[in-house]
Amino acid sequence: MEVTFELNGTNRTVDCAPYETLLALLRREGMVSVRFGSTSGETGASAVLIDGRLASSEVVLAVQAGGHSVTTVESLNTDGDLHPIQAAFAATGAMQSGYSVGAMVLGTLALLEHDPNPDENAIRDMLSGILDRETAYVKPVAAIQQAAAVLRGEEVEPFRPLMITPMTDGVNPIVLDPDDGPPIGSPAIPRVVPSKDVPTTAVVGQPEVKVDAFRLVKGNPAFTDDFEMRGLLYAKVLRSPYAHARIISIDDSAARALPGVHAVIHHGNVPRVKYASGGQSYPNPKPHDQVSFDNKVRHVGDRVAAVAAETVEIAQEACSLIEVTWEVLPAVFDELEALSGNAPVIHDENDTTDIADSSRNLVHRMDVERGDVEAALSTADHYYEQTFRVHQVQQCPIEPHISVAWLDSDERLVVRTATQVPFHTRRMLAPLIGRDIKDIRIIKPRIGGGFGVKQEMLIEDVVAHLAIATRRPVRLELSREEEFVSSRTRHPQTMTYRTGVNNDGVLVAQEMRLVGNTGPFGTHGFSVQAVAGLRGLTSYNAPNKRFDCEVAYTNIPVPGAYRGYGAPQALFGLECHMEDIAADLELDPIDFRRQNWAKTGDELNLAPHIGEQALVEGEFDEYPIVMSDGIEECVAQGARAIGWHRREDRLWREPAEQPHIRRGIGYAHAMHGTAIPFLDMGGCFIKLNDDGSFNMLVGAADLGTGADTVLGQIAAEVLGVPLDDIQVYSSDTDVTPFDTGAYASSTTYISGTAALKAAEVVRERLKERAAMLLDIKLPDAHLRVEGVTLEHHDDVEVFGCDVCSIELRDRRAYAPDGRSVSLEEIALDSLHLNDQEQIMGTGSYVSPTCPPPFGSTFVEIELDTETGQVTIHHMVMAVDCGVAINPVTASGQVEGGLLQALGYAHCEEFALDDDGRMLNAAFGPYWIYRADEMPRTDVFLVQTMEDSGPFGAKAVAEIPKDGVAPAIRNAIVNAVGVRINQLPFTPERVFDALTKD
Amino acid sequence: MPRAIAYHRPDSVEDAVALLNDNSHQPLAGGTVLNGDDDPTPVTMVDLQGCGLNGISGDAGRLRLGAMTTLHDMVNDDRVPTGLAGAAQAELPSTLRTLATVGGTVATGNADSILLAALLVHDARVELVGPGGYETLPLADLLKAGVAAGHVVTAVEFDPSGDCVRQSTARTPSDTPIVSATARNADDGVRLALTGMADHPVLTDPRDPTTGLEPISDFRGSADYRRKLAEVLTKRAVNAIGGVT
Repeated sequence: MEVTFELNGTNRTVDCAPYETLLALLRREGMVSVRFGSTSGETGASAVLIDGRLASSEVVLAVQAGGHSVTTVESLNTDGDLHPIQAAFAATGAMQSGYSVGAMVLGTLALLEHDPNPDENAIRDMLSGILDRETAYVKPVAAIQQAAAVLRGEEVEPFRPLMITPMTDGVNPIVLDPDDGPPIGSPAIPRVVPSKDVPTTAVVGQPEVKVDAFRLVKGNPAFTDDFEMRGLLYAKVLRSPYAHARIISIDDSAARALPGVHAVIHHGNVPRVKYASGGQSYPNPKPHDQVSFDNKVRHVGDRVAAVAAETVEIAQEACSLIEVTWEVLPAVFDELEALSGNAPVIHDENDTTDIADSSRNLVHRMDVERGDVEAALSTADHYYEQTFRVHQVQQCPIEPHISVAWLDSDERLVVRTATQVPFHTRRMLAPLIGRDIKDIRIIKPRIGGGFGVKQEMLIEDVVAHLAIATRRPVRLELSREEEFVSSRTRHPQTMTYRTGVNNDGVLVAQEMRLVGNTGPFGTHGFSVQAVAGLRGLTSYNAPNKRFDCEVAYTNIPVPGAYRGYGAPQALFGLECHMEDIAADLELDPIDFRRQNWAKTGDELNLAPHIGEQALVEGEFDEYPIVMSDGIEECVAQGARAIGWHRREDRLWREPAEQPHIRRGIGYAHAMHGTAIPFLDMGGCFIKLNDDGSFNMLVGAADLGTGADTVLGQIAAEVLGVPLDDIQVYSSDTDVTPFDTGAYASSTTYISGTAALKAAEVVRERLKERAAMLLDIKLPDAHLRVEGVTLEHHDDVEVFGCDVCSIELRDRRAYAPDGRSVSLEEIALDSLHLNDQEQIMGTGSYVSPTCPPPFGSTFVEIELDTETGQVTIHHMVMAVDCGVAINPVTASGQVEGGLLQALGYAHCEEFALDDDGRMLNAAFGPYWIYRADEMPRTDVFLVQTMEDSGPFGAKAVAEIPKDGVAPAIRNAIVNAVGVRINQLPFTPERVFDALTKD
Repeated sequence: MPRAIAYHRPDSVEDAVALLNDNSHQPLAGGTVLNGDDDPTPVTMVDLQGCGLNGISGDAGRLRLGAMTTLHDMVNDDRVPTGLAGAAQAELPSTLRTLATVGGTVATGNADSILLAALLVHDARVELVGPGGYETLPLADLLKAGVAAGHVVTAVEFDPSGDCVRQSTARTPSDTPIVSATARNADDGVRLALTGMADHPVLTDPRDPTTGLEPISDFRGSADYRRKLAEVLTKRAVNAIGGVT
């Protein structure tokens, strides 16, 4: 068919099929800013303006658009400059991955046409159709308000952090004054509570615009699907309708015969190579219980076969023509039932080793103890035991998994893929396709959200097998339903805490018994549960601790890595448990925690025993010590911002004019980790260009987190240049140095230190070349080690070294006597004129320490006692992440984490039927928070100086996930005195808990 | 096979009806429902956008919405009473509201549709056209029977007087309600419509809202819980309009 419509002001006539969506046609016509989120259109990533009105192009047939005008973000890109709306989004850091920012910009355009001065409700209503997992909509609202002001001709304040006066001395608690209100103003503006120990810096700590902001707000090609490939084939995977079944036979003849089909693969024609798909360091934790295509399926949505064909529709039809004979087996979904000994055996194959007890579906058994917990519990003044259950949720990145594989001109296998772990993926893929690592290249472009679900070698093997079989490029994009049931989720768990406390409120012993549900595969199954034990038992001091854990196989959709990685689960149980103990002992909930929380100077007496792959027995010579903490300031800022004193105010909690309403405020403490010591490693390479700018190559994977920006800021600070002079490129296994990847809250701390070290190497050489140009002689005392590192003098005056005291700033090198030379002059001199060399530096870093970030989360809720409905009115988090290298991206990380944590606590859940089929594998039935219903969200970044981190940084990526669920649960206790020990707090569950009492 | 194997855009309702004589032909309104699922059954789309079914007309006595009136149009038209406009706004997010139509909403008859509940309490009547010509019937009857094959909704008209009020319980403020109760003072008494209590929104007796209804149990709410909600929300909705039951 032909369709004629006006696209960005120009009439176009295009050929299309009747079934083609407007989204597909627009992308085909090069409008890559318009993106896929789901076929049902709620994500709004595909939204365009049709006759000036914002509409999801995923649910519009191309032919329906005939005779109408269609506008995409590309209409604003007529020259190099940004439209004021685009500029506002960039300036306010209103995007993390930016996958949906094109839709937000268009929506703003339409809104402001209609109303140049929209109120916040109108803005949030416009955003209601654009789902975002990353910003909590906080900064997008501010961006739109700023854009509106600019377009009205008003002056706007530059978007800068607000410095808040510290309330404490950093060590001691304060008594809150109820009349002391929190700072006013837009919650979008990052609030920083400075520490006097933190030095002033030029680029680090500044609200620099993200290095990828320009390409994102313009909708320029950036994501995996945005790059054209000639001769591309499309893959589809045939999925299991059964939770547990043997494949007796597969007949692919009809599928192969379908015109347009190029390959059909399944267990009959793909080698059986065992692996574990979790993106983790070598050697991947055992058991290796997966194969690319197995002769058994173990969850609804498990792989059966895959097809590569000329179009997605042909591939889909070919899948439906594959005839499978099944032997359906009984299935089990609950972790306790799976371990009972009466459940079907999920891994009964003979080629998987290192399953603890496959007959009981027991994958791992972990047990580690310090001291003697039973003895301590039996003699403690008070004994508490509580069990909690946490459930299955999905990461819901708006960009689903997507990979494209092809053979390059040397017939090496290249995969461009939305991955958090390009280097792990390269290593893990090699044996599956029978190639050496050196014959594989993985390229990570921009990613539309990961949150751990892309910390997996999930579909790269499928496209690789098909690309090799067909010798054509092959693309596989998961549907939204597949993203729910056939990718990865959070691990459900049943956990029991047992704690012994003495009359003085001090913990004497704490035990966590954990049963983790790892679904049908062990991927991340050990490590997530291990981290749960680590986080669940190190927040508080106790001389006797025990972690006792079983990990079970079941037939639920496969859990894997999800931001927080065991901590949100463990800290839900822990913070509810501690709250209840405090209540029983009639102690203030914060004071009780304060008596026991690990803080500066305390030893983390269990931490080294819990590793990524194994627990370690025996005593260590040394245990890590907490070197810095901002806990008291976090508590003070958070408590003031939420109005903590109202908890005790009965009149507030029980509003007379609304007798069915109860209000409450809840709190949770969190301590998290910063990278995995002795494991996470990253490398960086920096080189100087002719104009005095630098190229920086890092293996670190920016998933929208702002990693490229933060690493660039660190290098820029060392080299004395603006961020703009650092061109950051990440992450490509042929080009960039190794990096374990984006997980474990490690990028700023580990990859940032690698960037710092590489920049220091470059700085030293720049100083020496500057000395040459300024005719400053190198004294004998100036030591230089060939190759990589340089020795510094600590005391310049003793040696009187003029070279070392050369300073780099404002793109120049300044001698002590005030003379200077530009970096451009140094570049031209070194590259072209004298003693030519390429000034460059490398650095890599692995850390022996893991300095914990700390957080205080406060939540205010309202509860309808007649229906059980809980409404969250206000969320506050104060985080000590050391020094935030970029307060805008850091506060954005916290905001996005809080939105996901809110969903975890309040409304997100997998509803499985009795056969293990997910009933709500779509947005809507699986509800994620929209802009028009978000509670007010306030973030405070409390500075501490962490000496082991680059410019004082710790981590911020995951800790926001840890406190919301227990804070809401504790707010419910405050409101109605009811203790709910499972998630999520959906209306009927809360209603049942209320009426049970 | 992909869903739409062929596409027509007739200029008139009569041409549309003629095309829909063929069972493999489906009427296409906004497309948010039809294009939004993965059902592979091949169909031929008959796009109604050219049939002159747009437009809002009428007076204080009855307001008439052409079937292709979008929910966005309803929200932005001052003649649409506030409660009903609010229901249209809350029914769908911004990016789907501009596509979804009142005719499509009626034809889909979704059990959780708060817009249908609001139309019910406003005494809505639906005009349809088929091979046998035009007919008009109460919305409540149409929801029970469904739109017969070969027929097209052409208009929805209702009494715009007396604003309606809705009380609902959902997981979050913007989520589709598990159960909702919408009430309105009509001249001859209180109208009350419930969602989430049957396989389509229903008018019930505000004094005894749940008798005769068999709600389903699903992961959002069991049948028992839905009945309890219906009782509570009915009372609140009726109180909110000052109505006496």
